[in-house]
Amino acid sequence: MADLRIDLAGIKSPNPFWLASAPPTNTGYQVQRAFEAGWGGAVWKTLGDPIINTSSRFAAVHFNGQRVAGFNNIELITDRPLEVNLREIYETKKRFPDHAVVASLMVEPKQEKWHEIVKRVEAVGVDGLELNFGCPHGMAERGMGAASGQQPDLVEAQTYWVKEVAATPVIVKLTPNITDITVVARHAVKGGADAISLINTINSLAGVDIHSWNTIPNVGGQGAHGGYCGPAVKPIALSMVAECARDRGVGVPISGIGGISTWQDVVEFMLMGSTGIQVCTAVMHHGFRIVEEMLDGLNNYLDDKGLASVTELTGKSVPKYSNWGDLDLNYKVVARINEENCINCNKCHIACEDASHQCIDMLTNADGKAFLHVREEDCVGCNLCSIVCPADGAIDMVALDSGVAPMTWNQRQKVISGLNSSYSEAEVV
Amino acid sequence: MSAYAEFDKERQEIDALLRQGYVITGIREDLNGAAVQFTSSGPGVNRVELLLLTADSRKYVTTLIFAGANPAKPLETHM
Repeated sequence: MADLRIDLAGIKSPNPFWLASAPPTNTGYQVQRAFEAGWGGAVWKTLGDPIINTSSRFAAVHFNGQRVAGFNNIELITDRPLEVNLREIYETKKRFPDHAVVASLMVEPKQEKWHEIVKRVEAVGVDGLELNFGCPHGMAERGMGAASGQQPDLVEAQTYWVKEVAATPVIVKLTPNITDITVVARHAVKGGADAISLINTINSLAGVDIHSWNTIPNVGGQGAHGGYCGPAVKPIALSMVAECARDRGVGVPISGIGGISTWQDVVEFMLMGSTGIQVCTAVMHHGFRIVEEMLDGLNNYLDDKGLASVTELTGKSVPKYSNWGDLDLNYKVVARINEENCINCNKCHIACEDASHQCIDMLTNADGKAFLHVREEDCVGCNLCSIVCPADGAIDMVALDSGVAPMTWNQRQKVISGLNSSYSEAEVV
Repeated sequence: MSAYAEFDKERQEIDALLRQGYVITGIREDLNGAAVQFTSSGPGVNRVELLLLTADSRKYVTTLIFAGANPAKPLETHM
């Protein structure tokens, strides 16, 4: 059995599975039950001046029978007094000394406010701090959360203020509601961040009731934008984690968040640079015990791969993530249809005809049996047919040897530039 | 005409010029495609321009140069 322990910027945990700061980490009762179930760490629901929530605060997007493909919330940070939370954090840490308890914090962007809360929270024995610069709703209207996180200079300054007094590692949680998340990540690091976590939720409106014309959710007929999370956001989160992981100006450990629901998701986030991960929506959907399957799956995977420690996964796929301009234009794949597995639903033909390059023909053989055939020379290898195909093993995307050296777009443009400049202005067309 | 056939037609035009001793001396790309200038030092017509429309041809012609074959020579490819 592999070693699942992680050390994220000095915060030690028996495994990489942490609960994200959210409703499942609202109380000591919940966090302790989570630890009993197998979670290695928890980021306590964000502490700050206690708020007042609305009733009717969650909504979900279900897609084609898949419940909770996406999840939307307009809940704010903790509505409980700081002392109550601190007492429960102390009790939790006392009962689970080897588990990671991280306090998520959000206060107004004032130095004295940050100093006060950091000192009070650290006094009860938390293992680290996570600065919430990400929540997009409610608190942002008051100048906190994402409103702070969208201003790199404010992220840097607040991180710096925290680091002035913090004795434990500081994680800065980033908002995805920004053009380039690496800019904010770099400023967090300039402010002294020991690690970053991402992503927080994405601005969203879950839907509109087409009968009542109310928003979903609505509060007495009125709605407001919320934060979107769950499986639907995973690709966005993974991309942002990857961008931060490969940015040399960031260079601090990453706690990956965003739609993680399975052990396979965990592996993907770690391969793309995360030291550990955080989960919320999957727990809200299925409960704390989903961690049991995650632990088993991760253990088996590591054993199968012959890896002694989960830490060996971190960042292994980062070198494989690049810019579009550095991809090989001469690499070519084509679709191959395996007739023995094809069910002749023709979805590949329709997709190729209507949305791609019209290279899958519907033919009939000598026995009058219909079959599908790919004209490989016209296939651009877009993958669409294999994506829409409902039959396992019916379509393979096969790499061809093009017989020529790899050439990227960037290399191509240099070739053209060099060619044109090597002749006189008059010679160049 | 299939996309491959369009490409193959343009590639044959490129290869034919290269076999006649022309060298690719300039490429200008714009909204219409790639205008490729071929120059020959031999007698007769010494400058020809081909307007390449297909993506595969525009890739092919630069692959020739990138592969270090300028004076470019036709490549044995499976493109």
